[in-house]
Amino acid sequence: MDKTQIKIDYKKCGPNARIDPRECRKCMNVCDPAVFLMHPTLEEHKDPYNPEKWLVTPVWPCMCTGCMRCAQVCPEQAITVKAQRSLYQLRQP
Amino acid sequence: MNARNYSYELAEEYNMQAYLEEQWKNMETLFIRKIMGFSSIGLGYKMQMPLIGRFLRWAAERQIHSEKPGRNPVRADGHFGQVLPLEDAQHIIGNLAAEPIIKNYCVCRWMQRGVKDAVCINFGCLSNIIPKLTRYIPVDQKWQLDREEAIAALEEQNKRGYVASVWFQPVPYINAICSCESPECGGLRLRNDFGLRTVYKGEYVVTLDRDKCQGCKNCVKMCQFGALRYLPSIKKVIVNHDKCFGCGVCRHACNNDALTLVPRESVPGQAGKF
Repeated sequence: MDKTQIKIDYKKCGPNARIDPRECRKCMNVCDPAVFLMHPTLEEHKDPYNPEKWLVTPVWPCMCTGCMRCAQVCPEQAITVKAQRSLYQLRQP
Repeated sequence: MNARNYSYELAEEYNMQAYLEEQWKNMETLFIRKIMGFSSIGLGYKMQMPLIGRFLRWAAERQIHSEKPGRNPVRADGHFGQVLPLEDAQHIIGNLAAEPIIKNYCVCRWMQRGVKDAVCINFGCLSNIIPKLTRYIPVDQKWQLDREEAIAALEEQNKRGYVASVWFQPVPYINAICSCESPECGGLRLRNDFGLRTVYKGEYVVTLDRDKCQGCKNCVKMCQFGALRYLPSIKKVIVNHDKCFGCGVCRHACNNDALTLVPRESVPGQAGKF
């Protein structure tokens, strides 16, 4: 199966990088099918109600239409997309 | 419309307070956690796999509708909802919802679109938990609402085009009326794109009076489910009942009173299809 692969370089975006995804949020805003998910990291947080370390994960790659706008809009060029077949295309007879 | 499902007695009987605290602390990480070795990352592709896909679908449905004791709040077991029209949502807020009532930023829209939009109406013991998560409490606007304010807020959100939905969290305790938008809504994503029954269709479907429709197409823009379409040949809008969730949002855009909700049961092909 030709799956779309979206990778985010966490050295450029995330808790240890210059950019905090909670401040930027550009890729999420620009994505029509809402492929990205912004979430706290899975480690223990100092205040579990208000976690401080956040990441963006491309959680629904099968919805990606390959428009590449996320890669273009990212200020750190942290996103690479290898667009293959979306779920919609896979279901076509 | 069972008042007991909204009550503090029920919440206490099932120890919902503890469940909701854990669920809300971990809400945004739900889709990236491994459940039985599988996370939801790329779930659409995983469910296309021959045998594993069918197993995943079965396991996810079981988890979404779980009523067993020992449900896992981190996985949001037993958390599902149903679309409902504005009038029913207002009836729930006006007559059934337990105080206090609050309005907070939508979790789905924050984690999937990066937008803070104060449209979720929560009530009962959940309203005491959300304020601990300060990122979801609206700034510069009133968020502790009385019933009239909540009813007015729902109306305003519905007319903006958001779909009202009522949620078990977990079943049978009801404590939220969301104003959802597709595709950001976590529930509508699983339902519309992956076919999981996280959100049930409403008790109604919309019907269009051909004689009254003037073909202005305003309603088409309102539909979150792609159920309405304009046909240039007849200069009217047509309805796809199979796609209609019965939210009634399209009615707000119609100046000619051409759209009405009818009970789902009264349309033979749609009866019992939620």
